Amino acid sequence: MSILKVVEVSAGYGILDVLFGVSFTLAPGECLGIVGPNGVGKSTLLKTIAGEISPKSGSIELQGAPITRKKPEDIVRLGLSLVPEGRQIFGGLTVAENLRLGLTGRLDKGSSKAAIQTMMEMFPVLSSHADRQAGALSGGQQQQLAIARALVTDPKVLLLDEPSLGLAPIVIADVFEQLKKIIHLGTAVVIVEQRANLVTSFADRTIILRGGKVQATLTPEDAKDEEKLRRAYFGMDE
Amino acid sequence: MIQAILDAISLGGTYALAALGLGLVFGVMRLVNFAHAELITLAAYVLVVTSRLPFIISLILAVCASALLALIMELLIYRRLRGTGPSIMLIASFGLSVLLQRIYELVFGALPKSAVVAPWLSGTFKLGSLTITASSIATIVITVVILLVMGYLVERTDLGLQLRAAASDFKTARLLGVRANRLITSAFALSGVLAAIVGFLMVVENPQVQPMFGLNVTILALVGIVIGGISSLRGAALGGFIVGGVLSLLNTWLGNSRVYADSWMFIVVLIILLVRPGGLLSKANEMERV
Repeated sequence: MSILKVVEVSAGYGILDVLFGVSFTLAPGECLGIVGPNGVGKSTLLKTIAGEISPKSGSIELQGAPITRKKPEDIVRLGLSLVPEGRQIFGGLTVAENLRLGLTGRLDKGSSKAAIQTMMEMFPVLSSHADRQAGALSGGQQQQLAIARALVTDPKVLLLDEPSLGLAPIVIADVFEQLKKIIHLGTAVVIVEQRANLVTSFADRTIILRGGKVQATLTPEDAKDEEKLRRAYFGMDE
Repeated sequence: MIQAILDAISLGGTYALAALGLGLVFGVMRLVNFAHAELITLAAYVLVVTSRLPFIISLILAVCASALLALIMELLIYRRLRGTGPSIMLIASFGLSVLLQRIYELVFGALPKSAVVAPWLSGTFKLGSLTITASSIATIVITVVILLVMGYLVERTDLGLQLRAAASDFKTARLLGVRANRLITSAFALSGVLAAIVGFLMVVENPQVQPMFGLNVTILALVGIVIGGISSLRGAALGGFIVGGVLSLLNTWLGNSRVYADSWMFIVVLIILLVRPGGLLSKANEMERV
């Protein structure tokens, strides 16, 4: 059974159409990668699933319940959380306050303190900087905070938009190591990335988005074949 | 001199509360609510009209009336316009402001309505060679108490955390579960309460209430928000305090030339903006709106 089902979703901004009938499913504990060149609609797809953008057609189901056109604040309560591109942490708030804000979308308020404690243990750097302004953290630390803050909402599905953006390679490795633990704990993860090789080798399967449509599906094995990856990414087989 | 400083703190505090009320709504909606002036005016009218009632009843009625009008504004007008452009929202707030002024004129008349509100604040007392007005001390005490309460609310409660987050980036706040409608409604209700307190502080100093009673303080509080930092609630309060304080001191020091006080005050504002274009406490200029 799929935990997230996206069926024939088309979306855009005003008169500008970006996505054209995108479909995919996600199983519990699965990691799905979405790659594609700039401007193909990767971020638009995540925003549409998370409720920031209302789809023009199609349907989205989370744990069997329709979430199409629901507000983002309702969708997060149903168990889907988005870590937006550029992390979007609240720089003027402390690390602890950023995490506390994540509790707003958590249904199980009884375990709020434990949830923050778990995140502090999972991301020790946040614990040592709990009272520091989030804006003063390094890029990698901010990314960890953004992921931890999303996890505090207790998501069954976690969407990540370009988690490696602006990070040094060693920090990217750290972030993906944390993601591996999160997936291992049973959270289904969707990662949008420009680094096709990185995400294709990491995810259980990866879809290539081009021109607002799903053009191909790749497996981690395909990451080893750079030529195949390049052809799928740029559509050179067509 | 002491009285001049007390007056400056007192007026600065009043403007800080007005700026905080405006800043709360601006933070969550990116809306400069010009009709905030009419919330202040309504509270002042209610205080004058009910001045024969026990003071506390009169004050509660004023607070309720102002908060209720703020909620009506949000539910009937601004909520329906939320998806439109900022210019449409701004013009709507102008229109609402003018409409309410005309309604006040029809209901209460164009001439000032007057009554002594809280007569126990109209006296003076001596401190050595100084004569200090009770109203300036009361205004300072009330302002400090309200600012402390607001400070607690904004800094220590979940609602305050959500307000600060939404003021910085409402889209991301919603992704974390902050309910837009509930937060915006809360911000409007709080701005109505603050407007009522400003109306009370003003009517104690000047019990001549007319339809444009709250306009001047609102415009100057807006200036305060700009110099304090448009996306920061602390900045709004600080900016409001600076504008009110500087204006009060200029009024005292300029003597017969006090007619130029506003001009000098705006020179101070320009200097602050030239040095800190984003405002005193602003870090980022995030302008997206829900």
